[in-house]
Amino acid sequence: MATYIIRRVIWTIPVILLVILLIFSLMKQIGGNPFRQTERAVPAQIQANLERKYNLNKPWYAQYGYYVKDVFTYDLGPSMRLRNRTVNQIVQEHFPVSLKLAILAVAWGLLIGLPAGILSALKPNTLFDYGGQLFSNIGFALPNFFVATLLIYYLAVRNDFFPTNGWPTDFWDFNDKRIILPSFALGLFFMAYIARLVRGTMLETMQQDYVRTAKAKGLRWRRVVMRHVLRNSLIPVVTAVGPLIGLVITGTFVIEIIFSIPGIGRYFVTAVGARDFSVVMGITVLAALVVILANLVVDILYGFLDPRTREARS
Amino acid sequence: MRKNSWLLLVAALLAVLALGVVGCGGDDDDGDGGAAQATGEEEGGEPAAVQEITMAWGAEPPSLDPGLATDTTSANVILNIMDPLVVLDENLEPQPNLAESWEENEDGSVITYKLRQDGKWTNGDPVTANDFVYSWKRTLSPELAADYAYQLYGIKGALEYNSCEKNCEKLADKVGVRAVDDYTLEVTLTSPQPWFVGQSAHHSFLAVHQATVEQFGEQWTEPQNIVTNGPFQLEAWEHEASIDLVKWPEWRNADEVDLERVNGRIIVDGTTRVQAFEANEVQALDGSGLPPAEMSRLKELDEYELYEYLGTYYYGFNIKNITDVNQRRAMSLAVDRQTIIDNIAQADQVPATGMTPAGIRGFEDINPDSPWTPASGDLEQAQQLMDQVQNPKTDINLFHNNAPGHREIAVAVQDMWSELGINTTIRAQEWAQYLEFLGPPPSDQVDVYRLGWIYDFADAINGLELWTCDSGNNNTNFCNEEFDGLIDEARKTPDDAERFQLYAQAEDIMFGEDGEMPILPIYFYTLPNLEDTCIKDTFYIGALNSLDLTDVTVQGECA
Repeated sequence: MATYIIRRVIWTIPVILLVILLIFSLMKQIGGNPFRQTERAVPAQIQANLERKYNLNKPWYAQYGYYVKDVFTYDLGPSMRLRNRTVNQIVQEHFPVSLKLAILAVAWGLLIGLPAGILSALKPNTLFDYGGQLFSNIGFALPNFFVATLLIYYLAVRNDFFPTNGWPTDFWDFNDKRIILPSFALGLFFMAYIARLVRGTMLETMQQDYVRTAKAKGLRWRRVVMRHVLRNSLIPVVTAVGPLIGLVITGTFVIEIIFSIPGIGRYFVTAVGARDFSVVMGITVLAALVVILANLVVDILYGFLDPRTREARS
Repeated sequence: MRKNSWLLLVAALLAVLALGVVGCGGDDDDGDGGAAQATGEEEGGEPAAVQEITMAWGAEPPSLDPGLATDTTSANVILNIMDPLVVLDENLEPQPNLAESWEENEDGSVITYKLRQDGKWTNGDPVTANDFVYSWKRTLSPELAADYAYQLYGIKGALEYNSCEKNCEKLADKVGVRAVDDYTLEVTLTSPQPWFVGQSAHHSFLAVHQATVEQFGEQWTEPQNIVTNGPFQLEAWEHEASIDLVKWPEWRNADEVDLERVNGRIIVDGTTRVQAFEANEVQALDGSGLPPAEMSRLKELDEYELYEYLGTYYYGFNIKNITDVNQRRAMSLAVDRQTIIDNIAQADQVPATGMTPAGIRGFEDINPDSPWTPASGDLEQAQQLMDQVQNPKTDINLFHNNAPGHREIAVAVQDMWSELGINTTIRAQEWAQYLEFLGPPPSDQVDVYRLGWIYDFADAINGLELWTCDSGNNNTNFCNEEFDGLIDEARKTPDDAERFQLYAQAEDIMFGEDGEMPILPIYFYTLPNLEDTCIKDTFYIGALNSLDLTDVTVQGECA
């Protein structure tokens, strides 16, 4: 197990280098002037000053070298658009916000999706099942920004149940009402996804021989479900949830805009449009790291949960 | 049974308590009692006991450093926490502020500001002329690479210093700004510039506190480090979330400022801003714009307010592609501006009749009364003109950036031009790509493009100089020597009436009877906003999109 983890961690380095190379070449390809945010042309002298300040006047391999050094020394450089902030500061202040939002969204997904999926599987082809599937389809079909706007309108403007926007500054504050609507809107997709997934895996598991054996042995159905069916069905869910958290970086963008949440998704998309190279680079590398870490954790967990995998690995 | 009656008793007690709390809060005006807020009558109520408001800012300020800020949100926050030399009144005339007076020399190329002696920084230091010398040179320094350094290019030696690559100290000394004494600031310009004093109301001309900047470097604008000298202080700034300002009691005129506290919520999405306003979470928006889809509903509200905004929305022609001036004139005649304003833009914009917007001083003299820009269009004449064109370009590419609102206007114009036999293809582009496309010089594919120009200061030259041959903002390939000559001469003409005549001639070259029509101006901007009736009377956004919070007083109950 330890060698497995170490090997995975070492593999992270070439992956990150590849990510940096890809982002660097993509950003160079799309062109655009990072210093011209409005229609006003930038006078030549000022453009020269800015390019000198941000090393854009150096050859491409020098710039690439700077980026690699920046990433590996965790000094991701200044933002070109937000002149008084560094990428490190941006990441430190705003990444936890998006992380919290994504975790809460997945929590909603599990809270509602899991029971819905389980009950659907236990009562297949009943009204409950059809209702659950309908809910699932709606969750997939409705864009989350549409649901978000409706929620704000009905629950915050027409009735004063929730504030219309905002997010608590303290990461550990879970009492603030502002976290509910955004995470619910974002979580809609997860709810639908998990419900469907769990229903599918449970139905499949219930067809297995050992379940029939357990029933034949005379075990109570409830015990069969809790002890055997559920555990085995939830393994794919664990596998799915890992990368879902990896969506935290860009998936939250629209919700962050609508609810005025100071998260990293917003920064990322704005930075691409503004051609803020250092921010794009820094956040992409962060996203890559998050996905890699999430996958690693999931794979390790998988090893614990499924003895067959453990044996195959060693 | 007992449990229920206890509960009832507790509930009744709570209700009584609640009523008591509500009854004691705020200042009741004129016995309106339970009725909702005042219905927007002009007399207003008495100043409320609690002078605190929450407003929505439309963006996170990219920087609160006067040397680095370029956008209006930053400018509005900065101008309230700092003390500019002059401020502009409702007629956009400069009025003394930190500068108690100013003098020009004979030809107007040297301006001497006399500063008040009671200006202070929040750490106790006095504000002196040296602060301005340091700050302006800092903004011009090549190391800072300030985007808006060009605002100060009217000062002698500024351009040279800003363009310097190494060993720049000597050039820094030659920049034409010096402190004659602690409270006298002498500015030497490259030429007489009658608009300079008005221009110095711009946030780029503010002073920064030298010791603080040198100590904290790029972090000097954080609330725990920042040192300011204006009516409000930056109490808190949660990036991308909120900006809170509190009145600074030691400001030189603090007794004239009513507001004690302005809580700012940064809300980037227009619809969310409106929703926050309607849920009474904020009492005012900052003029960042209302969603076009909601305009017709919002205009009917008491809380709706419309301000003048100096700016022109236009379509530019690539005159290398659309070579016949009659075609350009015809295309302009075919556009029914009033319909576009009434049905699409919906904020009572003013149909444009030239480049210089209504509200600029001298507008009546400068405006060319163009025969090619009737407000409701003139299709007949347009078709007649079009028939006279030898080789009309009938397949047109119309480019615009993909922000809300532009597409709808493009579709309307496409329809109007189809009456002339012109087949228009609309191309939307992402902003940065779009700007690359426009150059100048514009890509060959560009036949017509959409842009707007928002004025930096209230003189027509700011908009007219865009159309000179060398201007980096001229994407039309229009180059007229006579026009350039007029602009040059205007720069040297201090007398307003004479200068307005020159501007009028320049506008005539573009839009007059024999005008070349390099652009098709569509409308002059306006600034719609929402303000709670408790502050609507005193909340005012100036025509250069400037918000002065020292004028605002909360009157009566806020919702």
